[in-house]
Amino acid sequence: MNVGTPEPLLSIRGLKVEFSTRHGKVTALDGIDLDLMPGETLGVVGESGCGKSITALATMGLIPDPPGRIAGGHVLFDGEDITRADPRRLRSLRGADISMIFQEPMTSLNPVFTAGDQIAEAIMLHQSAGKAEADRMAVELLRTVGIPEPERRSRSYPHELSGGMRQRVMIAMAISCRPRILIADEPTTALDVTVQAQIFDLMRDIQRQFSVAIMLITHDMGAIAEMADRVAVMYAGRIVEKGTADEILDHPLHPYTRGLIGCIPVLGKEAGEEGRMPPLAEIPGIVPPLHLLGRGCAFADRCPLAFDRCRAESPALEGGAHKVACFAAEMEAA
Amino acid sequence: MGVADPAAIATPEAISPLREAWTVYRRNVPAVFGTLLLVAIILFVLYGTFIYKGDPYEIVWAPQTPPGTEATVPLGTDNLGRDILRGLLKGGGPTLAVGAAAAIITLVIGISLGGVAGYFGGWIDDLLMRVTEFFQVLPALLFAMVVITLFSPSTITTAIAIGVVLWPQTARLTRAEFLKIRELEYVTAARSIGARNGRIMWKVILPNALPPLIVSATLTVGVAILFQAGLSFLGLDDPNTMSWGLMIGTNRQYILDAWWPVTFPGIAIFLTVFAVSLVGDGLNDAFNPKLRER
Repeated sequence: MNVGTPEPLLSIRGLKVEFSTRHGKVTALDGIDLDLMPGETLGVVGESGCGKSITALATMGLIPDPPGRIAGGHVLFDGEDITRADPRRLRSLRGADISMIFQEPMTSLNPVFTAGDQIAEAIMLHQSAGKAEADRMAVELLRTVGIPEPERRSRSYPHELSGGMRQRVMIAMAISCRPRILIADEPTTALDVTVQAQIFDLMRDIQRQFSVAIMLITHDMGAIAEMADRVAVMYAGRIVEKGTADEILDHPLHPYTRGLIGCIPVLGKEAGEEGRMPPLAEIPGIVPPLHLLGRGCAFADRCPLAFDRCRAESPALEGGAHKVACFAAEMEAA
Repeated sequence: MGVADPAAIATPEAISPLREAWTVYRRNVPAVFGTLLLVAIILFVLYGTFIYKGDPYEIVWAPQTPPGTEATVPLGTDNLGRDILRGLLKGGGPTLAVGAAAAIITLVIGISLGGVAGYFGGWIDDLLMRVTEFFQVLPALLFAMVVITLFSPSTITTAIAIGVVLWPQTARLTRAEFLKIRELEYVTAARSIGARNGRIMWKVILPNALPPLIVSATLTVGVAILFQAGLSFLGLDDPNTMSWGLMIGTNRQYILDAWWPVTFPGIAIFLTVFAVSLVGDGLNDAFNPKLRER
């Protein structure tokens, strides 16, 4: 992991995505800036509905249009703007250079084809391999992702595999063409805790073996602590805090980030120790519907530190390496 | 889910969804009966003429000879003295062919238009669905009559005319399935590995949409056979091609004098449609996962 390599592999600049809904036009992403360095793991964290998955889809050029639309900004992959690429170019990028694994391994595999067939399909889309060759490669990939008896498993249908194994098959499919970026959208949310740990181990192995950069999208700060090198915290379509994983986890600045960290259950810790809140903290309220966002900070209504200014104007993301968008945090620092 | 060690669970050999459906189908007594009946009818039509030889148009005995009275004409003769059993054997082929051809035409048009409409949505969907509705609200029989009158009656014209009036239903069904399936995650997953629209439509979505379409196609065969019988009854079928519907049509005015020239082809049509419906219902049960839970 060579964090700090000057040239980012993926660079998202001022990305703005709008959706037309029954309530009129809403801004799902409002000026997102993100960099993904080669070989690193970037954690994108936030609650449901804050724009994490939209960021992932925009990176793949998969924003459903209509109703979605990229209203501004750029997504630069290796210097090439994905938001302006034509469909043919996008298809050749997808799977080959940037690939994605999904939240629900139950539904992200096609039920009528065998695991091996689906991996072979992905291979044949981007490589000049015949069916037999692709089948052989599929079995090898299943072996790589730690599926026992890969020859036999390649002939299994998705419903015959456990959740963990299906996610392994998805990973095998995603890495089949040696992509440089792997976007993992809540890859372990639907899995048991023990299986989660195995999938994270596998992702780390894959990262080392194929030197792939991972964008890990999650709502789970525990997953961030385990996997991420750098972290971006999102709220209501904006990045509210950005920094290295250590900075964010040990010195969270934004009250929202603090709330998310308070949601991690800690084993063997007495309540009150290290100033941790008793049993398990929760953030009151929900992410506001995007069409109801006012002028102020989107988090103000749920924020314990909010004051007048927070409701009147929206804070910008400011700071050096560890950036935060919060007036209260600014005052604290000053 | 909930398995800590993926190596620890042993699953049986891979069973494809199709084989699973076949297992269910095999245990469905009416469906198996329908299949055997249908096979028997097809064999009867295909090979019957080799055993019971003769020209169905030839006048062999006195007109309107009742069945069972003459050993040479076991099912009797029609109003012109032609052998009814010969007619049934000869007329079965065109009848079944029209049914099958109409079902295939229905499937091809319906799946293409419905699939494109459901997959792309938006104005394409609106346009194609308006076209579909246009065909759907046309009085089916009248439209088929116009088509047949415009292009001289023949087996092919009849099949096309029936297919053209029956496809909107299949199109709507296909569209609904595509609308549902295109939102599923494996479709996004297919897109995320760089698959083209065409590939996603026909290789990812269609195989998953097929079960209800197969069921509907079987039922279409039955409807098409009845439709053709109706057209023949009205005298709109090719008079030079023997078919069950034609036999009913030409003998209908003498039904009060002789019931058999109309009844035997009627029974043949009934048994065929009945068998096809049983097969369709059986397929429906086999593919429908809710009914499959025992």
